[in-house]
Amino acid sequence: MKLTIKNWTGVATWKWVANDDNCGICRMAFDGCCPDCKLPGDDCPLVWGQCSHCFHMHCIVKWLQSQPVNQQCPMCRQEWKFNNK
Amino acid sequence: MQEVDVQDAWIFINKIFPILNSSYPTVYTKEEFYKAAKIIKELNLTCFVQDMVILKIETSLRKSIIPKFWSHFKSPENIKPFYKFLKAIDSLYEDYSKLLEVINALDMLRNINNFDKPIMGEMNIKNSLKLMLKSTMFSQHHTSYDKVISYFYEEALLLEDMDSFSSKQCPICSLLDCSNCETLFLKANGKLIEMSLLGPLTDQALTDLIYYYINMHIQKTCKDNFDTSYIESFEKWLDRVIITWLKKIYCHSEVSDRSIADFDKKLRNYLYNTYTKIRINQLFNIIIEYPDSLAALEDIKICLPKTDLKQYLIKKLQQAVETRLLHLGVSTSDVLTAYVAAIRSLRFLDPSGLLLEVITQPIHQYLRSREDTVRCVVSSLTEEGPNDLAEELVRGETVLCDENTIQDSDENWETWTPESSDHQPSKIPATKRSSDIISMLVNVYGSKELFVNEYRTLLADRLLCQYSCDTEKEIRYLELLKLRFGDSQLHYCEVMLKDIVDSKRINQHIKQDPNYKNQEIPISTMIVSAQFWPPFKEEKLELHPKLLTQFESFTKGFETLKGSRTLCWKNHLGIVDLEIELSSRTLSLSVSPVHATIMMHFQDSNRWTLNDLSKTMQVPPTVLRRKIGFWQSHGLLVENEQDIFLLKEETSEDNIVQDNIIIEDYESESAMASAQDQRDEELQTFWSYIVGMLMNLDTLSLERIHQMLKMFALQGSSVEYNIHELKIFLDKKVREHQLIHSNGLYKLPK
Repeated sequence: MKLTIKNWTGVATWKWVANDDNCGICRMAFDGCCPDCKLPGDDCPLVWGQCSHCFHMHCIVKWLQSQPVNQQCPMCRQEWKFNNK
Repeated sequence: MQEVDVQDAWIFINKIFPILNSSYPTVYTKEEFYKAAKIIKELNLTCFVQDMVILKIETSLRKSIIPKFWSHFKSPENIKPFYKFLKAIDSLYEDYSKLLEVINALDMLRNINNFDKPIMGEMNIKNSLKLMLKSTMFSQHHTSYDKVISYFYEEALLLEDMDSFSSKQCPICSLLDCSNCETLFLKANGKLIEMSLLGPLTDQALTDLIYYYINMHIQKTCKDNFDTSYIESFEKWLDRVIITWLKKIYCHSEVSDRSIADFDKKLRNYLYNTYTKIRINQLFNIIIEYPDSLAALEDIKICLPKTDLKQYLIKKLQQAVETRLLHLGVSTSDVLTAYVAAIRSLRFLDPSGLLLEVITQPIHQYLRSREDTVRCVVSSLTEEGPNDLAEELVRGETVLCDENTIQDSDENWETWTPESSDHQPSKIPATKRSSDIISMLVNVYGSKELFVNEYRTLLADRLLCQYSCDTEKEIRYLELLKLRFGDSQLHYCEVMLKDIVDSKRINQHIKQDPNYKNQEIPISTMIVSAQFWPPFKEEKLELHPKLLTQFESFTKGFETLKGSRTLCWKNHLGIVDLEIELSSRTLSLSVSPVHATIMMHFQDSNRWTLNDLSKTMQVPPTVLRRKIGFWQSHGLLVENEQDIFLLKEETSEDNIVQDNIIIEDYESESAMASAQDQRDEELQTFWSYIVGMLMNLDTLSLERIHQMLKMFALQGSSVEYNIHELKIFLDKKVREHQLIHSNGLYKLPK
């Protein structure tokens, strides 16, 4: 018997490699999107801070804009710096 | 002298009133008559003679004339009723004429002698005779005689309605072009009129006959024919045949105009009633054939206000719906088709929507109890080809489910009519009664969410089954649905479709990546956003190592393409196109990954025990056996001994199941978790409440648990459970030994 597989259509779900399931700001799933967005993934990316916490980019930007003085991570109160790894 | 006078007088009296002697021939001269009259007057016997004569007439009527008349009706069967009646009338008329002579003589006597004592309260003694005739006749009447009378008229009517026969043969005497029968018939009627018997003797029979005839005519004409309007033609027919005929019968009567007018009113009313009833009895069929049966519906619409049969219609139609539609033998899609047709046709019949509501209420309830209703609605909404629901969808109107939407009716207040009171008062005001078919269907469930969820599941299944599916088309439908259900509800579906489009692009990218080694198994991947798809059915499956490396390298490709993201493979989902070359034949199949993996393992080794394969593939043996069954049915694997499977290289000719046929035969199960599973999962959240309750209160009845859950846990949550569902859930827990059920009470096991 000769078995030839002409095409294998697999199914996979994608997910962010993050240390948590939900965004600490909007409490929505990382794999979903922030409340302002409709489409997940590229349109609503995650960002990591140097403190290793991560959020929806839109959420943390909104947060930082609402902080007049110190730009802190909402989780650990360290100064927020984007981790461009 | 006196003696002789009396003797003579009696002879004279007998001569002019021979009836006193029970004989008829009345031969006397005028002189004789005057002489007799004089004698009677002299002897002052006028009153006595009159009484005697009337008594004799009565006796002869009672004893001979009337029994003779009726006896004609009882004559042997082989004589046609037409002739029986004709003969009876003739003989009666003959007797009547004789009596009339007597009466005439009596009348003359009264005139000469100036005697005016009324007979039977009648001054005109001819009327007295008629009265006597009538009363005696009906005192000896028997209902079975009516049959003869109605036969008589029926045959005569057939004679009149000749155009309904193709042949020119006379229905009575079977002669061609007979005109004699009609003359006989008209003559008989003339005699009846003369005796004032036409009304009393024949009216009932005549009316019955005509009713029957109208009924027959309508039945015959509009049987199974809904696409023509008959009202007008029936009215014309009534005028042409029945009324004309009646006019002929009554033509000699002095009261003809009034009788005919009465008949006309009565018959027209009957015509409408009968026609409406017949149509109402056909209404279910009319509804089913809706657009073609518009003419019939129009007729009903015209007839209903004239006949007062609305209640009858409601009752009949509900019965028909009950017996013909709402049972297990009818598939859901047929119920839906009928439902849509009912909505359309009833809305046409009664624009106020009340009728519709009353009739469709049971259908709503029934549809709610069918499991696949939503699925049917959704699939017919999106189906290709001519389809009522799809058309409705394209027409586009927003679904109004919200109880709070206030429709401002812009109709003119002057044309407003109060709601008819013959239905049960309904809670929904007229303005809320939606006329939109899709809205009504959605309202069967009362929530858009259920509909949208079902659509999502169906879409997910479709997308997973055919990777190459026509996303353009799906997007078009999605846009149409969005018009109906609003953007927010269908947002998930939008993401799902975008996933498919993106997947194609990502696949291309990764395959162009030089780091991605194109191996022997070409793969493509659907990359889906788990949050937006309906939950997948979870099954474990360990794929063949060859494939795993392939998947790994694909994952790597994805990770480099999309930073910080990775893939979780759903090994059991997807489709595999494969080709199996055997020495004698080639099979081309599309199968599920489990099936493909089984064959890949058998390619490595042609003998596997069920247990080994189960361990390797991490699939439970029972499930695996079922999957192997698929290949057994294709004649590729055989179970040699218990639980040992062998690859069968050579198939003997008679064993070939399907030869060189491209079989697309993967089990068409949904890849999505079933609605039941999802529901159970929702109930699972309450399990902790239930455990808590039982720990505190030891034992509880089903009702108590339901009540308490309703009070504490279900409050504010969007989920709604009825007691039945809860019972099923609890029973499952009992089976899993997490709960004990005894004496109708639940408790926790110790």
